[in-house]
Amino acid sequence: MSHLFGHNGAENTGYSQPEGLACATKPVVPAGLVRQQPARWPRLSEPEMVRHYTWLSKRNFGIDTGFYPLGSCTMKHNPRVNEVIAQLPGIADIHPHQPEHHLQGLLSIYYEMQHMLEVCAGMDQVTLQPVAGAQGEFTAVRCIQEYFRLRGETQRTKVIVPDSAHGTNPASAAMAGFEIVEIPSRADGRIDLDALAAVADETTAAMMITNPNTLGLFEADISAASEIVHQAGGQMYYDGANFNAILGITSPGLMGFDAVHFNLHKTFSQPHGGGGPGSGPIGVKAHLAPFLPGPLAARREATPEERTMAVDEHWYHWHQPEHSIGKIQQWHGNAGAVIRCWAYYRRYGNGLTTMSQHAVLNANYLRHAIHREAKDAGVDHLFVDGAETEVAKHEFTLSMQPAKDALGISAMDVAKGLLDRGYMAPTVYFPLVVPECMMIEPTETESKDTLDTFAKHFVQVLKCDPETLHEAPITTPVRRVDEVYAARNLCLRHPFEDA
Amino acid sequence: MVDQLPNRGRETEMLSQMGFKSMEDLFADIPAEVRFKGDLPLRGPQSEEEILSDARRLLGANLALGSRPSFLGAGLYRNYVPASVFQLVTRGEFLTAYTPYQPEVSQGMLQAMWEFQTLISELVGLPIANLSLYDGSTAAAEALTCAVRVHNRKASQPNTVYVSALTPPDKRSVMENYCQGAEIDIRTLEHNPDGTLNLEALKEAAGSCGVYVEQPNPLGVLDEGLTAVKEIVGEHTALIVGVQPVSLGVVEAPGHYGADIVVGEGQPLGSPVTGGGPLYGIFACTQPYLRLMPGRIVGRSIDVDGKEAYCLTLSTREQHIRRHRATSNICTNETLIALMGAMHMALLGPDGLRELAQRNMQACQRAKEILSETPGVRLVHPSAHFNEFAIQVTGNAEACLAYLDANGITGGFNLASWYPDLTDQILVTTTDQTSLSDIEALAAQLALWTTHQEVSA
Repeated sequence: MSHLFGHNGAENTGYSQPEGLACATKPVVPAGLVRQQPARWPRLSEPEMVRHYTWLSKRNFGIDTGFYPLGSCTMKHNPRVNEVIAQLPGIADIHPHQPEHHLQGLLSIYYEMQHMLEVCAGMDQVTLQPVAGAQGEFTAVRCIQEYFRLRGETQRTKVIVPDSAHGTNPASAAMAGFEIVEIPSRADGRIDLDALAAVADETTAAMMITNPNTLGLFEADISAASEIVHQAGGQMYYDGANFNAILGITSPGLMGFDAVHFNLHKTFSQPHGGGGPGSGPIGVKAHLAPFLPGPLAARREATPEERTMAVDEHWYHWHQPEHSIGKIQQWHGNAGAVIRCWAYYRRYGNGLTTMSQHAVLNANYLRHAIHREAKDAGVDHLFVDGAETEVAKHEFTLSMQPAKDALGISAMDVAKGLLDRGYMAPTVYFPLVVPECMMIEPTETESKDTLDTFAKHFVQVLKCDPETLHEAPITTPVRRVDEVYAARNLCLRHPFEDA
Repeated sequence: MVDQLPNRGRETEMLSQMGFKSMEDLFADIPAEVRFKGDLPLRGPQSEEEILSDARRLLGANLALGSRPSFLGAGLYRNYVPASVFQLVTRGEFLTAYTPYQPEVSQGMLQAMWEFQTLISELVGLPIANLSLYDGSTAAAEALTCAVRVHNRKASQPNTVYVSALTPPDKRSVMENYCQGAEIDIRTLEHNPDGTLNLEALKEAAGSCGVYVEQPNPLGVLDEGLTAVKEIVGEHTALIVGVQPVSLGVVEAPGHYGADIVVGEGQPLGSPVTGGGPLYGIFACTQPYLRLMPGRIVGRSIDVDGKEAYCLTLSTREQHIRRHRATSNICTNETLIALMGAMHMALLGPDGLRELAQRNMQACQRAKEILSETPGVRLVHPSAHFNEFAIQVTGNAEACLAYLDANGITGGFNLASWYPDLTDQILVTTTDQTSLSDIEALAAQLALWTTHQEVSA
């Protein structure tokens, strides 16, 4: 073990600093505000610090380490040139309050990204300000709320979500002050139009839904659903978590949606970084555009004088929407993430369609491969599809309930068995509508060989003796972690026992 | 694009193994009426070299702060982040991991975040810290809603919080967006002409759910009066203090003068300014707030063999479990930037942090000394400052900043953007990266500006 707080070299610092500026009088902190006890931070030299974090990194699994089929999270390869670009001083060392003529490059990239997302989503206006998917949801729901307030439709206090929705949907709507109306999915995992029609009325502000849904199925009735909600006077909100399946094939706009959020860290490969940062832009139809948080990137023809500073024939500038809800983050969004995603977009351009095709190809191929391998090995009775379908989209679900019933093998056991074979586990126990669910999303950046081998390993796990599997994992840095112990014996920081 | 897709050229083989003829078969479930017609009307794909070349050209058109004397801060601070931080943080095992839902293969990030929680906890003087919120503004906004959840039942002013009048409007706007859903009334705390909090007016906030103040405040002032706030507002009102974390190398930790929640923009520790994001929001609190706080938190536990192990804990507060009853909707956070923060803090150690804070204060002091002797420039607040301070210039601040800009200096922040009445004040920010020649250049140009103003007057 390497413990950060075990390092206590008497004089150590990992970074020796130059002298500060000489002053005529020494600056002093007001007497009552002088820090009495320094933070009990460790004292490390640079070599010790580098070795500590390198050691930690080796105890962590990323896409670079191996296959990461974590459903709903779109764990695709992160091209390294994007990291190089994000460290250029023209992004790393700029301030959002610099005047527009200092930021023409940034503004033009923002404009290009807004435009690209508008085209892909079939929306009229995009803002890049939200910094995560959930924040995008909250932002869009706030815009819808203000839209109805301005129209005097203040009785629209409810937001409809299917029971298969991501947890952030109801959480975001509730945070904005809406009442949540949850509707059940049909037995085949799709939206129940009758259930929707029964709850959509003059109190409905919006319906939040993702398509393909969280089972990886395309909701073919989506246009009918949009019509029901629109007939009731509500707005349709598209959760873009699963956008990777449909770029250039269909769009939220074509499906009748009024607002959408994007998870740039999924679809456009901002690295997930162990939990963030992300970027969660939203796009809206024209009637919601005046409510977006500002500023947006806009452009006009450059004047001859501006031409000398411009990056092209346009002059890029910030624009404040007329009825803006204000800010949902203090600055202009996660600019560094937007730049990485811009570089990713440039890699594909109009070939984004191919990206989505390959994401869907890989998901279906893996689904078939797992079923085929299981059949050959005689274990195909141990799981069923989470939902019946001819084709999945970018991800698919399996229910391990038969394995649980027959052998006591849970989805979690299978997940841990996969860790032992060098894989990240799929998402487990989500969506909630599938019992003992495993949700598998390979993404387009995995090779056929990887998918074939994973399918074989998946089946091997199922053939394990259940007792052995309950013990898994055994090859990982630690074995099954006791989460109940963690919650009952809360230890949220180093205890400094010697102090 | 071909270099990103391993199965290019194998499509037919893969499709036929599934019994499909074409890629189109995989999309047969999407009704024709919602299908895109034709190609996406976007530009063609580019190679890595072409992308890098375009990135250099476009980003090269931005004016990097470090390319000339710059005094722009106002919430984001240029600093020096040691090289090892960048080298380590781009290790693929950190960079390309997801949220550590499978703790057995995520011990590295989990332990690093547990250590981050400890570093922050020690820094701000409170027992609990989460592993980051989006930025300082959302951390402040979430602190307000958290305070209401905790105190609403006993508060004599339920659903009410008080926020310093100096709070930048963009941050205040974030607070309003986050608070309006819970119908929280945000009222304003007035300040004295010298920039300090008006402790007499503060009495009105007693019995509310929470008060939000900053140390140093948005005008850079170190306000000793904040140490009296907790006693004035009482035990049922949360004292929420927003901090510039570097200042805590020399300034008392708010947890030691009664703060219940400490928030702040973590950026100066570990991250470049990066156009305003990604940053990381600090959120730390005392025990009573723990179960109603937002965001993820790591606990130390054991594995089945009794070996030390880490995992996410108290997740029943969170959206993926609690759905619409969650304490916050946050899911993706700023872990990787928090990791950069942890690395920077680990490198500095307690002495390094103190030195860094002193360097910031020395640069500020030197700038104040020089600018106080510059014709036409007046220091607005006589008090102690950490790394920024307001000056009054001759004439209009916006015009003055434009003049400085035209003469090669990013002069600071026009305070009229926050406080419309202050048309002749500039917030001048210095950091450890400010040199004496930068300050002298600013002073020389301000003196020239004053001369121009006097000539034209």
